[in-house]
Amino acid sequence: MTYIHLDHASVEIPIYNSRGRSLKAALLRQVGGAVEANSRDVVTVKALQDISLRLEPGARLALIGHNGAGKSTLLRVFAGAYEPTSGHAEIHGSISSLLDMTMGMDAELTGAENIILRGAFVGMSLKEAQNRVDEIADFSELGPYLHLPLRTYSSGMTLRLAFAISTTRAPDILLLDELISVGDAAFALKAQMRIQKLIDKAGILVLASHDIKTLKRYCDTAIMLQSGRIVAQGTIDEVLERYASP
Amino acid sequence: MSLLPTRRDWTLAGRDLTRGFAAWNIWFLLGVSDIRQRYKRSRFGQFWITLSMGIFIGGIGVVYSALFNQPVAQYIPHVAVNMTVWTLISGVVGDAANVFTQSAMYMRQDALPKTIFIMRLIIRNIVVFAHNVVIVPLAFIIFGIIPTPLVFAAIPGLIIVILALFLITLILGVLSTRFRDLAQITQNALQLLFFITPIMWRSDQLSAGRQIIVVLNPFASLLQLVADPLLGIEPQPHTYIASFTFIAFLLVLALPLFARFRARLVYWL
Repeated sequence: MTYIHLDHASVEIPIYNSRGRSLKAALLRQVGGAVEANSRDVVTVKALQDISLRLEPGARLALIGHNGAGKSTLLRVFAGAYEPTSGHAEIHGSISSLLDMTMGMDAELTGAENIILRGAFVGMSLKEAQNRVDEIADFSELGPYLHLPLRTYSSGMTLRLAFAISTTRAPDILLLDELISVGDAAFALKAQMRIQKLIDKAGILVLASHDIKTLKRYCDTAIMLQSGRIVAQGTIDEVLERYASP
Repeated sequence: MSLLPTRRDWTLAGRDLTRGFAAWNIWFLLGVSDIRQRYKRSRFGQFWITLSMGIFIGGIGVVYSALFNQPVAQYIPHVAVNMTVWTLISGVVGDAANVFTQSAMYMRQDALPKTIFIMRLIIRNIVVFAHNVVIVPLAFIIFGIIPTPLVFAAIPGLIIVILALFLITLILGVLSTRFRDLAQITQNALQLLFFITPIMWRSDQLSAGRQIIVVLNPFASLLQLVADPLLGIEPQPHTYIASFTFIAFLLVLALPLFARFRARLVYWL
């Protein structure tokens, strides 16, 4: 059973200055009454406001909006990293958010060791990761580098490895922040084919991008965000039209 | 904003704990690679942990045995055991304030249970403990101390200590993510605790009236739970009572705190 249900979900992120974080200031505020106006210490960023939406299997949703509109925050809510500060989010199904593919990788460990470590984060058991080392090494074309520490890799090689590990398992819910392009032309093609396979298998796809061609290719519905609110919702063509018109 | 967790908060916090413990492969790998990373490319690697502790105990042992008028052969094993156990306690408590801020990049990306990061910290310090504890049999052999069967009582003691440390990390982790001064406060409190806990000295060196310092100090009880059996002293019933009372107190504090603010943590990073 795969679904994402958001019910009037809002995300408010408090920004504390050093005073707002101070225990002394908080205690004095309690004891001494409202000497300091709360607003002076804590600024709240309303990153998402009142988002309601239901994604069922088969959903191919595009997130459209300018920088800072809340696309990444919404992806983090879908990923389960951000739990709404008010309202509710119910998310079921295995999630793969290729938001940061290198998360959990360690520069001092070898490629093979990193497969085990990063594999744990993408939901592989120790045994499964061990069994897949060869397959992943093969795909990322690391050759003898597999047994060297990650810090000796070029950034392209690191990304190849990260991509290979992160895309080994097909998730129920696939979250993408811009379509990933990795490596040189030959590898990019291979990577694109794998992404395509993941997208085909995924129950729910959410793609945030500024590239209209990509969005049209993979998505059929869209929501447009502005200052953390949904301002348009519908088929991809409708919403893109709205996005293009000032 | 209510300070009481809702029913849903409790469910999610419970799920966090069970799923977090179950994800042992993540926290085990993270904890171990923390240590590996620290000592990678050094000649002795992680045995620097053991070596540093050995040097400390040797140095302090000779100086303090003279100061306290104690025979070296008795004092060094005593300090070796106490310091090994205390390093585990102070290591976890000292790291606790940064447990979540240190894992910010994971928490912002993924719906990983927060328990994973607490266990990572615990494992990291257990690995250090395992390296330090080597000193104890070494000191026993050098000074000809024959351990009694009582040493096995140190194992349940250790489990109780780790349980307490888990809860302390939970509390300090949540509070200090919100109030960053707490990290500094903990460091200072630990320094103070080091002096008022019978690590370098023995509690029977205190006058009867001052024994209360040890009895009322829960960290002294936790220390004795592991250290006393290793030194061949039968742990007193009051040590167990004090430790369990402390754990009960921690539970009452930690669980509602975690249930209420677990979801908020990521916004405080």
